[in-house]
Amino acid sequence: MPLSTQSQGDDEQYVLVANLDNARNLSNILKAIAFKDHAIFTATTNGLKVTVEDSKCLQANAFIQAEIFQEFTIKEDLVAFQINLTVLLDCLNIFGGTTTPGVSTALRMCYRGYGYPLTLFLEEGGVVTVCKINTQEPEEPIDFEFCSTNVTNKVILQSESLKEAFSELDMTSEVLQITMSPSQPYFRLSTFGNAGNAHYDYSKDSDMMELFKCTETQTNRYKMSLLKPSTKALALSCKVSVRTDNRGFLSLQYLVRNDDGQICFVEYYCCPDEEVEEN
Amino acid sequence: MNCVLEGNSIKAFGKAIHALSRVGDELWLDPTIKGLALRSVNSAHSAYACFLFSPLFFQQYNLDSVREQDSGPIKCKLVMKSVLPLFRCSTSIEHSVKRCQISVSTGSDQVIVQFFCRHGITKTYNVRFLESEALQAVFASHLCPNVLKSPARLLGDMVMHFHASQEEVTLSMSAPKVSLRNYNEGRNDHMKMMHTEMSLHPDEFDYFQAGMDSDITFCLKELRGLLCFAESHCLPVSVHFGTPGKPVCFSVEDMVLEATVVLATLADFESRGPSQPTETPAPTTHSCADAAALPVGIHETQSNNLQVLPDVTELVESSQGSPITYPPVLMQLQCQGDSACAGMTPPSSMICSLLFEAMSSEPGDDDDDGAPRLPVLAYFSDEEDYPRSPSL
Repeated sequence: MPLSTQSQGDDEQYVLVANLDNARNLSNILKAIAFKDHAIFTATTNGLKVTVEDSKCLQANAFIQAEIFQEFTIKEDLVAFQINLTVLLDCLNIFGGTTTPGVSTALRMCYRGYGYPLTLFLEEGGVVTVCKINTQEPEEPIDFEFCSTNVTNKVILQSESLKEAFSELDMTSEVLQITMSPSQPYFRLSTFGNAGNAHYDYSKDSDMMELFKCTETQTNRYKMSLLKPSTKALALSCKVSVRTDNRGFLSLQYLVRNDDGQICFVEYYCCPDEEVEEN
Repeated sequence: MNCVLEGNSIKAFGKAIHALSRVGDELWLDPTIKGLALRSVNSAHSAYACFLFSPLFFQQYNLDSVREQDSGPIKCKLVMKSVLPLFRCSTSIEHSVKRCQISVSTGSDQVIVQFFCRHGITKTYNVRFLESEALQAVFASHLCPNVLKSPARLLGDMVMHFHASQEEVTLSMSAPKVSLRNYNEGRNDHMKMMHTEMSLHPDEFDYFQAGMDSDITFCLKELRGLLCFAESHCLPVSVHFGTPGKPVCFSVEDMVLEATVVLATLADFESRGPSQPTETPAPTTHSCADAAALPVGIHETQSNNLQVLPDVTELVESSQGSPITYPPVLMQLQCQGDSACAGMTPPSSMICSLLFEAMSSEPGDDDDDGAPRLPVLAYFSDEEDYPRSPSL
């Protein structure tokens, strides 16, 4: 591949170099969180984390482990910058969507450090494009303080069933209510729209339910407008874990397989809209 | 009311709702002893559809809650937009829904539709309904001189030849053949329009009765839903019609359900009765869809056809139990002076007889002559010299 045979001398100046034979392995997963223009890129030796936030109430993270890349070199412990995600995705798809099997866009992503733009070398069929995207001061991602010890309820579902539910959700409802309970109705999604109410109940014995661990009955409401973007991640995923903690904060974790069958994760954190007392 | 559907019945029920959604924006739910009736009417009141599912159609059918209510039988009107999405995807219903339970809760004014799906998933929809007068069209189809019974696919195949935007078609009976052609407003555009006409021989029909020669023009749009339904259930379609101006009735039935669509037809008149001034018919005609915008009166093409239809009808009694013994009354819609007809006095062609009546619950509504009072939909503003036909 022409990009990986670039002179090693160039690499001295970069604090981060990441190579991918198939740029789609990055662009597809970034599309799942691209509901805002700006994203915070955080790179460590473990890999790349891309964060997008909305109104301080919603946070989406995409994790692309170092192993996904053909080469992943990082010279510092932590490299972080903010970048326009829409522009980045446009560049990653600069050769257009190709569906020809065997043909893919190769990517080499390089970053010199604070103040420098992110440089992308993209190659397809012998044609090379160089893109330089300006970076900004990275904002600190919100820490939702969501830790496993505070998780009260957790279910893992196969995405198939949840995809159907989300596609049928009544969009005239301002909120999506999630009820999780060790007793009936176990796991329930509810909407309150103009026409009336709708409830989707998943039994704990459902074969779509891979894991069911609910310790107490909790009902929380989340703004539909905040959760709507998560359907993109749901569409890509094969499994999803839904967790709520004692404050009613919601964590959705999606297991995504990329073109090469490798696993990446996307997670969404959302604040509850209001406390609902369970009778 | 509480009923349970299983298997293919759910799909059929969904298809019925789809067919009704092509007629009107509201769905009337009427649980009766004879079964569950779903009805709809279009905004111009020129098309009415009714699907009646007998108790045998359901796994369970209970009306007990109806009798317990002090308020009387349920009169339930739903907004089509809230119900249609529940049955939207018939393939997913087929694959994933095992059982469907529908119940009406008058206490909370809700219709509760529950789908018990595979993989332990349950979907519950609580749809609000509005209290409403029951809806019923009164039409004596057994008195129609022309009757056709066509195999399931025949009418559907014929209708397929017309462009989706074709609004009206004309069905002509002139023994021994029947033809279907598209109908276009304004006869000036012969050169621009594509005319399609199909003729059928009586042998193509399961039953063919040509009582009189007649050409009826009606809207295709509201009929397509029923034809789709008939095709999917392989049910023959019966057509009852008579003179232009009188409604045409399309119906399908099998052991457990009956579906009817009654459409108003365009009435071209050649002669007028003595109470109206004579006038040559003006060139432009109006479509069924404009019925509400135009003055309506009913003119028979042959005065000797004027007859009072007898009191007996064969439609289902509504849940209110009031007997259907009054003659069908024509509802009159009046216009505010459409520019097309303003210049003509009186208007050249009359539209769409409406054999249709909203029933009221109080028996005291009946007039002395037995015909109930009609709600007036729109009032005349000017043009007092429009003739009004006598009620039949």
